[in-house]
Amino acid sequence: MSAPTSVGITLRQVSAAFRSPEGDDVFAVRSIDLKVRPGELLTLLGPSGCGKTTTLRMIAGFQDPSAGEIRIGDRDVTHVPANRRDIGFVFQSYALFPHLTVYDNVAYGLRIRRKQVGEIQAAVDGVLSLVGLQGLGKRFPNELSGGQQQRVALARAIVIRPRVLLFDEPLSNLDAKLRVEMRTEIQRLQRTLGITTVYVTHDQEEAMAISDRIAVMNKGRIDQLATAEELYRRPATAFVARFLGRANMLDGVVRDSEAGRLTLDVKGSALAFACHKAYPVGTALCAIVRPENIGIGKAGPLHGEVVNRMYLGEKTEYVVRVADLMLQIVRYGTSEDVGFSPGERVGVTLPSTGVHVFEPGE
Amino acid sequence: MKHAAIRRGRTGADDPLRWVVIGGIWILLFLFVLYPLACLIGRAFTDDGHVTLASVAATLTNPNHLRALRNSLILATLVAAVGTLAGFLFAFTAERTNLRRGVRRLLDFAALLPLISPPFTTSIAFVFSFGPRGLITHDLLGLQNAQVYGWNSTIAAEALTYFPLAFLALRPLIAAIGSDLEEAAYSLGGSRWQVFRTVTLPLSLPGLANAFLLLFAASLADFATPLILAGNNLPVLPTDAFLQITGMFDLKGGAVLSLLLLVPAALVFFAQRHLVGRRSYVTIPGKGGGRSQAARLASWLRYVLWGACIAVAAFIAYLYALLVYASSVVAFGANSAPTLEHYRVIFTEGVPAIKDTLIIALISMPLGGLYGVVVGYLVGRMRFATRQALEIVSMINYALPGTIVGIGYLIAFNDAPIALTGTAAIIIACYVFRYSPTGIRTTVALLQQVDRSIEEASSSLGASGLTTFRRVTLPLILPAFFAGLGTVFIRAMTAISATIFLVSINWTLITVRILENMTELSLGPAAAFSVFVIAVVVVVTGMLDFALGRMTGAHLRPSALRS
Repeated sequence: MSAPTSVGITLRQVSAAFRSPEGDDVFAVRSIDLKVRPGELLTLLGPSGCGKTTTLRMIAGFQDPSAGEIRIGDRDVTHVPANRRDIGFVFQSYALFPHLTVYDNVAYGLRIRRKQVGEIQAAVDGVLSLVGLQGLGKRFPNELSGGQQQRVALARAIVIRPRVLLFDEPLSNLDAKLRVEMRTEIQRLQRTLGITTVYVTHDQEEAMAISDRIAVMNKGRIDQLATAEELYRRPATAFVARFLGRANMLDGVVRDSEAGRLTLDVKGSALAFACHKAYPVGTALCAIVRPENIGIGKAGPLHGEVVNRMYLGEKTEYVVRVADLMLQIVRYGTSEDVGFSPGERVGVTLPSTGVHVFEPGE
Repeated sequence: MKHAAIRRGRTGADDPLRWVVIGGIWILLFLFVLYPLACLIGRAFTDDGHVTLASVAATLTNPNHLRALRNSLILATLVAAVGTLAGFLFAFTAERTNLRRGVRRLLDFAALLPLISPPFTTSIAFVFSFGPRGLITHDLLGLQNAQVYGWNSTIAAEALTYFPLAFLALRPLIAAIGSDLEEAAYSLGGSRWQVFRTVTLPLSLPGLANAFLLLFAASLADFATPLILAGNNLPVLPTDAFLQITGMFDLKGGAVLSLLLLVPAALVFFAQRHLVGRRSYVTIPGKGGGRSQAARLASWLRYVLWGACIAVAAFIAYLYALLVYASSVVAFGANSAPTLEHYRVIFTEGVPAIKDTLIIALISMPLGGLYGVVVGYLVGRMRFATRQALEIVSMINYALPGTIVGIGYLIAFNDAPIALTGTAAIIIACYVFRYSPTGIRTTVALLQQVDRSIEEASSSLGASGLTTFRRVTLPLILPAFFAGLGTVFIRAMTAISATIFLVSINWTLITVRILENMTELSLGPAAAFSVFVIAVVVVVTGMLDFALGRMTGAHLRPSALRS
């Protein structure tokens, strides 16, 4: 069971505006361009209100864009209603038909397409075993657990072999363990079927775990579209840096800039690191330093005091005060030492690579 | 949230069918709601084609009519107060004291009986119990010529008839408050009385006010009870208007009198909309919480509450037993030999009325059920310019006292262009537009529970708007359709206030026959007719419940609708 040939999705200058109660036009999505490659799983990631769900609903056809063009494959679907776009949509609330059995829920789309009874039977049975729900066809949705309901929703969306699969925060109603299990499942199915997929979530870990590429959205725009690794290692904006993973944001002034090396004065402490871009001395910059890149030990170039310590099993998180700075520091691994306690004096080493700078407001 | 603002969706905005339906509903509403009301107002304010305030002024200066107005208002206030109190007592007891199942059933049943009986059943039973030959007044207390007619019995009978409305309105509210807010208050150290005073009561206040208004409107409009129990010294507006028209053949005078009712009725209607429309603190959760709070009521208080409720329930049971008894003895209070004579009478002489009533009820039922679901869907799911106006207009005939609706229909459809007087159609139209709002409200409420994403899911799977409606939405609002069917049928069997103006030689109603029997003092057949109506209603609503259960099954429990 695999999609005939995968197709891409293209959004060109797509906007979504709505009229606020005061009569102003408010933009949920501001002229975004997006190309989803055939067969890939692309995630729209961002905080609530960034426009990711609106974008997804416009691709689905649940909502009309106020401007722009949407194409699925070669076909311009901008003004095609949802039921003629050939999509599969998995809802945050599952949206199972409560009056139909699991079997009838899954068969719904096939019956709309007037398939033969035998064909429907085979397809439904096949997809139910694919999602691990064989034998539950006669149940009603309210007789299933949350995870099972989500599997039914998934089966219902893929059984019609849509050209495009769309997920709207499908795991947010599940508990943490199940979430991890289901996202692996979704990834496996998507790879097997090869259906072009757009996935919406606000959970960066989930996005990083399953996506081929991630589009980070902020205030109705796409800040950066790249692989998870690229986003984490080379964030294009401060927002992306902050949203993916944790980051220390250090405001400083350029003290020295020469030959791929930048030295910042951060509240009196010097932060020197590799940087391919040159800045005039005195420029105000914001440096982003990942907590795992900062060293903590008995001794180090900078002196600090542990303010807080949180033991999390495979890692320990510290908050350390260095002069006027509060630094988040993460230490991985089960080292023999017991770590440092609040109040203890420690040495801190700032990294010389992996630091990103942005001009304020960028 | 963000969806609510953005979701102007594309729910078939270009579907021509919906404009046909909306247009059709508006035509019906103009014809059967606005036009009769306009005719009534027109008749009251014109004379020979001239606009005049003469008749209104004449009525307003007539001390008898003013007295009727004052009586109506006082009666409605007292009935609403007593009935709301009783309803609260029942609701609180049902939700807050660990009632045994048997007792709970008894309370439910006692509260259900008045809802499904002809409106003057209680009044008739009062006459049997407290009248000159009444069981209590004559046989038990040995009083001669006891006076049943007047304020006390009218208030008591109306309060008993209408308190179930308050009970039904308050019960879910009290259940919702109980779940965690009260426990939170207890956990903060409040005493039982403090918690009741500072949490339960203030949170129930909007509900209590709503129940009060509901009962006020019901009593204000009540026509049957005062006609039987009020007597000559307690004229009220609905009976006054009726006698003006049937006794003095003064249609204009009746119209003016019924319009006096319009003012308080409209005030109540808008006060209630305001109350219900306001954001409530209490949301009704899908799951019932635990009943651990029952333990927190002092046991003496529990016994007092049980005692009070059981006393009320027992009294209702006693009244209905009396009715059955009176229908099966030769002459109540004089000759208690058992007989089936009264039933023989209603099944011979009464057959035309029974036949007419059943035909009218059985035609009104599906029409009203369908109309309720269609209007409910338009109001609850569609977005169009006249939506709110349509919702309000569809509620008018329900909110208006039956007297106004009846007289309005009488004036509007007496002659061309739409002459319906004397037909069954006029009675059916009256029932459909007056009693479908229950179906409309239930449909809207159910649709609110059906997440819009369920319909979007259907659309994403390739279904057109019409297919989605037929295969997804319609099955989900089926319970509302059945609720509509049930209400229209019950009312068509039991109502009288509006349709007493619309019956004719060709088409008459059981309720009208009961009233005639009462005025002719043939109490036996009146009792037998009442018992018959209650039996039919119980059987038919039972059948509807059964059919709904068969068609939906357990998986359509409301919690499932939250998707």
